[in-house]
Amino acid sequence: MHWHKRLAVAGVAGAVALTASACAGGQVRGAGGTPGPSESAAATGGAAPKQNDATFVYSPNLGVVTDWDPATSYSNEIVAMSNIYEGLTRYNAETKKPEPRLATEWSSAKDGKEWTFKLRQGVKFHTGKPLDAEAAKKAIERTIKMNGGPAYIWSAVDTIEAVDPATLKFTLKYATPLDLVSSAGYAAYIYDVDGVDKDGKKDGGTGPYTIDQWQKGKETELTLKAYEGYWGGWKPEQYKKVAFRVTPQLTTAWQLLQRGEVNFVQRLNPQLFEQAGMTQGVQVKQTPSFQNLLVLFNTESGPTKSAEVRQALQLAIDYDGLAAALKGAGVKSSGLVPQGLLGHVAGMEPKQDLAKAQELLQSAGYGPDNEELKLKLTYAQGDDDQKLLVTLLSSALKNVNVAVEAKPMAWEAQWDLGKKKGQDVFVMYWYPDYADAYSWFLNVFRSKDQPEFNLSYLKDAEIDKAIDSLPELTATDQLKADQVYADLQKKIIQEKAAVAVPYVQTYQRALTADVKGYVDNPAYPNVVFFYDLSR
Amino acid sequence: MWRYLLRRLGQALLVVAGVVTLTFVIMRLVPGDPAVAFAGPKASPEELAAARARFGLDDPLPVQLWNYVRDLVTGDWGTSLHTRRPVREDLMTAFPASLELVGTALILAIAVGIPIGVLAARYKTKFPDLGVRVGSMLAVSVPVFWLALAVQTVFASNLGWFPVAGEYDGALDTTSPLTLWTNITIVDALITGNWPIFTSTLQHLVLPALVVAAYPAGVIAQLTRAALIEEAGQDHARLERALGFSESKILTRFALRAALNPVLSLIALVFAYAMVNGFLVEAVFNWPGLGRYAVDSIRSLDTPAIAGITLMIAIVYVLSNLAVDLLQGVVDPRARAR
Repeated sequence: MHWHKRLAVAGVAGAVALTASACAGGQVRGAGGTPGPSESAAATGGAAPKQNDATFVYSPNLGVVTDWDPATSYSNEIVAMSNIYEGLTRYNAETKKPEPRLATEWSSAKDGKEWTFKLRQGVKFHTGKPLDAEAAKKAIERTIKMNGGPAYIWSAVDTIEAVDPATLKFTLKYATPLDLVSSAGYAAYIYDVDGVDKDGKKDGGTGPYTIDQWQKGKETELTLKAYEGYWGGWKPEQYKKVAFRVTPQLTTAWQLLQRGEVNFVQRLNPQLFEQAGMTQGVQVKQTPSFQNLLVLFNTESGPTKSAEVRQALQLAIDYDGLAAALKGAGVKSSGLVPQGLLGHVAGMEPKQDLAKAQELLQSAGYGPDNEELKLKLTYAQGDDDQKLLVTLLSSALKNVNVAVEAKPMAWEAQWDLGKKKGQDVFVMYWYPDYADAYSWFLNVFRSKDQPEFNLSYLKDAEIDKAIDSLPELTATDQLKADQVYADLQKKIIQEKAAVAVPYVQTYQRALTADVKGYVDNPAYPNVVFFYDLSR
Repeated sequence: MWRYLLRRLGQALLVVAGVVTLTFVIMRLVPGDPAVAFAGPKASPEELAAARARFGLDDPLPVQLWNYVRDLVTGDWGTSLHTRRPVREDLMTAFPASLELVGTALILAIAVGIPIGVLAARYKTKFPDLGVRVGSMLAVSVPVFWLALAVQTVFASNLGWFPVAGEYDGALDTTSPLTLWTNITIVDALITGNWPIFTSTLQHLVLPALVVAAYPAGVIAQLTRAALIEEAGQDHARLERALGFSESKILTRFALRAALNPVLSLIALVFAYAMVNGFLVEAVFNWPGLGRYAVDSIRSLDTPAIAGITLMIAIVYVLSNLAVDLLQGVVDPRARAR
């Protein structure tokens, strides 16, 4: 055979072998019946019909679902799950209170150790079963038994009793604001335990949307469709179809948004966000989150053991410069508890004061005329905002003879080192798993023999006592709880100088202009409640 | 031929074994506890201990390596810490899309690179040669990520000639559901006669495939040119000239066959390179291939997934080299004797 022909035959054989090796055996892709995202753009032409047939397209930058089990789910899928599943309550960041969802009313007794929830009537799971107290009990007990990452939120629960089909009673081991716990974005879902499917082909939720199709790894990874039997009913202008189009690259997401191919971009960088604010056909929303940056000082050993050094470091941070450089991606914080949560204190905004910082350093035996102070600082690798903080801080401290050895690290490695008390300054974000400021105090500032997240290594019996009183006070006397939170923040930040809180992150969302009704709820990070939207 | 094949297979297995060992060692050298990546950033000590027990992270390193190799051999590539699914399953979902993109790009690169290499050799030191040399130099040296962004902004976003991103129009999943046989969308659309998806995929393929093809096309053109110029100076070319063959005929009919040997070897190399280079292009164009999986895995320090991707690329590299070795044996019997 001529060499050209032999080469051609070999090529064809190779292609056939390659094709055969990837053989999938004739499954049909996209048979779920939900129109793809492009319909959204197509539907915008012509006279606006009352019936909303468009698909709402959400553009996340990471995969949509890693775990379909409502008991153990603890990752990006919160966005989809929050529209498929519901809890007993939902937190409202404006009123700072949980609101009715599957429970219509609730009350606590015995100093917050007993909680009774009245369930909404006429609710059906997507499996067709009716919601009653027995089903809700089974769901929560299963979540507790599975003991996945977020199941700890129920740790106060001793027993659950289905008093009657519409009444669910919890007896607790210790006082806890269970109405807040029930509003959590993870592990608080009420679901039909027989409807759970790890392959995402069906679900056991009660929410307004149900799974249409899940194609792991595909660009349009997930599509949801309206659950016609939803207890809230449906209006013509609401979105009945939702698609998640994964777009890792921010510039690509921005271009897709401009062309109307996606309706919601979870995150843009500050430059693109600024541009989005000036672009026709695009609307932007900014909302402070519940996530703040903590600069934790080692209170146990090393140079930062001195309270004066810690106070000097607090004063060296250029809070205003940092907030300006973040261009809206963060706002200056006031205290440890972000706005929108019980315990937030106004008027505690920190300020840079280099003269005072130098004075404190001199008093501690450091500063320009003394020996150079060397500090080891660790922060998150790849986080530009943290890098900005570190750059500004290092530069300010250089003027007062303090050298910062800053080390960007992956969280796993940074945390490992932190647990071994291997740094003087530890920079990290903190956010609560449900809308309760207690999370900061219990995890980050309560004494621990073996540090987990208490990476300032603070040990103070008085602070511990005040922290321990918080759950009961939140459940029974919120005014008093607010006061205890305020006192604790003053003690931890001003007196002990265990931490500096430079800023609270801000969510910067971009949406197509035709979407109405969008409100960002920081208690549910990145979640869009599609049911609330219309066009 | 069989001895040649067996020898090449043996060498390929050695390379894969080396990659497996190296990957494992690097996985364990990365600072941080993989259990944290699985159990979550707020995991309790009990959850971390359970995750460590589940993945055998408390075993001595040699035991862990042995378990890793044993599992690999039995087809278990581990569980992704991020997606919590078997890594092999994840890779098999993403790989066909990458193969589709890189395969198309390579066909483009060969279809363009070899002819322009011939053109440059034919008009050595003249204007076409200069144009090809400058063009191929640019194609090789421009960073692929930048090229992808530039091409996307100009041809998709500003001019609107091509789609901005994606593999095909998602709305077609409803109107023209695709029956999967190979999981490679364009191939399945072709063999099942699904023309709406076929044409949509072709439109979506143009920009990313051109960007991925830029580097291989440049390298192939340069090497073809150099190999042909060398061949054109050999004794056989002088004889062919004496016999009255034209320069074009000498290059295409006689010199090209011999010149193709190094070009074929190069294709194997650039195929694996394009696969990795394509990761960045996939990220820009939302191509649902290994790139997105790699980005997610690296962001979440998902060591089993990162190891799986590394191993898969190594296997692609080894297999493509093997295929080229065999093709060289077909094209040039002297290769079998080497």
